[in-house]
Amino acid sequence: MQRRLTLGQAVNYAILLIFVFLCILPFYYVVVVSLSEPTLVKEGRITILPQGFSLRAYEIVLAQDRFFNAFQISTLRTAVGLVVSLFLQCTMAYALSRKALRGRKFFILFVVFTILFSAGIIPTYLVVRYTGIINTFWALIIPDAISAWNVLILLSFFSSIPDAIEESAKMDGANDFQVFWKLMIPLSIPAVSTIGLFIAVHHWNSLMDGIMYINKTSLKPLQVYLMDLVMRSEMTDMNANIDDQALPSLSIQTAAIFAATLPVLLVYPFIQRYFTKGIMLGAIKG
Amino acid sequence: MRTVIKDIAKNKYLYLLLLPGLLWFVIYRYLPMFGLVIAFKEFHFSKGIFGGEWVGLKYFKFIFFEHRNFYQLVVNTLLINFYKLAFGFPIPIILALMLNEVRRRKLRSFMQTSIYLPHFVSWVIFGGIIVQFLSPSGGIVNQLIQWFGGEPIFFMASEEYFRSIVVISEIWKNAGWNTIIFLAAIVGVDPTLYEAARIDGAGKLRQIWHVTLPGISETIVVLLLLNIGILMTTGFDQIYVLYNPAVYSVGDVISTYVYRVGIGNGRFSLTTAIGLFQSVVGLFLIFTSNFMMRRLYGKSLW
Repeated sequence: MQRRLTLGQAVNYAILLIFVFLCILPFYYVVVVSLSEPTLVKEGRITILPQGFSLRAYEIVLAQDRFFNAFQISTLRTAVGLVVSLFLQCTMAYALSRKALRGRKFFILFVVFTILFSAGIIPTYLVVRYTGIINTFWALIIPDAISAWNVLILLSFFSSIPDAIEESAKMDGANDFQVFWKLMIPLSIPAVSTIGLFIAVHHWNSLMDGIMYINKTSLKPLQVYLMDLVMRSEMTDMNANIDDQALPSLSIQTAAIFAATLPVLLVYPFIQRYFTKGIMLGAIKG
Repeated sequence: MRTVIKDIAKNKYLYLLLLPGLLWFVIYRYLPMFGLVIAFKEFHFSKGIFGGEWVGLKYFKFIFFEHRNFYQLVVNTLLINFYKLAFGFPIPIILALMLNEVRRRKLRSFMQTSIYLPHFVSWVIFGGIIVQFLSPSGGIVNQLIQWFGGEPIFFMASEEYFRSIVVISEIWKNAGWNTIIFLAAIVGVDPTLYEAARIDGAGKLRQIWHVTLPGISETIVVLLLLNIGILMTTGFDQIYVLYNPAVYSVGDVISTYVYRVGIGNGRFSLTTAIGLFQSVVGLFLIFTSNFMMRRLYGKSLW
């Protein structure tokens, strides 16, 4: 094993580490600013290191009803959406993986075609409207419930399970549903969990459907709330004061950003664990 | 016919498993395709999809010949996506090759974990951070500029910089994730091939050129074709979060325009026509590039 670093290796490390630094920087920045003394933030004195320490920004953000409401909505939609999506995608993918399914090729094409061609924003909006779910909680769940990609990935995975397993279960008298529920799903935990994690993160980060389909403030998911706060600086009804001076919007925005990112960061180690198996599936995507 | 019914009856649970998902596709993917018809009609909510007078190609003629900003929209969409592809596609491949050379497992693992972190946060969050970095009053970038003696620049409102911001932030956010995908492909290359190359006297770079790259060429082709196929459809989230009226001329893309003018201003027929144009071109693009790939390299999606 070479002990000395060659020039090539050193350059390699250097560039990679710069990139790593760039990827961590935004989050570091958010934490630093949100925890710094707000008066110093206002003066623009915060660059690399935090100045002072203050939880005031977090106090204000977490005291907002609308923040909590949006947080709740997002949590709820992630939980419900996860169950709904996994159910729809796994059942479909499994059925499509069985050679006994008559018309199998047609159905697979049916799914794949939607990746190549979509009706577009407006017609989908109209269907959402005409199916009566617009401006309801279900508009956050149903229109996006199935990703054709996920179905294909799961399909590829289910197909790779040896036929012998299904055959021997059938010989023991199991029907297709029992084979699916009691045999295939337990065998597919890595694949299903990985897809599940992707679905959950997707729901948490989802912006477009909240904007397009929801008008009621009480139903606005977290990202929409954040959008108003961070990008449009709408903080009019916040009681954001410290010693009679308004808190700088930067402090509040970074605190809100971090509070919204925290769940993803907490889930991150689990993503790591299942991910190595998951990418292998993704690489088989073709 | 009888055998078909017998088949279905015999495998009824399979069809039952298929049904919920299938129904979803029919309602939320295929039914909207029927709704495309309003691109040829004068749509009013009161009259529904089937009411409304037929106007044929009126809106298509409008967008191609009279609409002031249509070509600008198309140019913005294509250019932004093209830059993203041209710069953003090779970078993860290079990073993956570099990461592959890192032998120390813990360091490599740490690097991998950090670089796909930005991918997992939303554009609201990442975009919000970018806006802070670029802020003319106190943002890091402008602080650096002033430190070197320059004047602060209001990046987000500048037509000159907006597209670059979009492309760079996209790469910043997603390169790490794409790197992991390529890394997985690289790891799958047969190690004995490297042995053979080494015996033939190939140095590191030659090994990469002759063994690694051909080994992952299928993954590269698949991903490249897919990205070309979506050249006409930019992600809505990123642009919507980052743009503002000052940069519409360079940054407004088809999806943001359709949302703003279609749902926002209620001009359904017009924006459906634009959306139809977008989808048809996308279909054309992916078929053509697939065909060309097959002709030139013998590898394709289908």
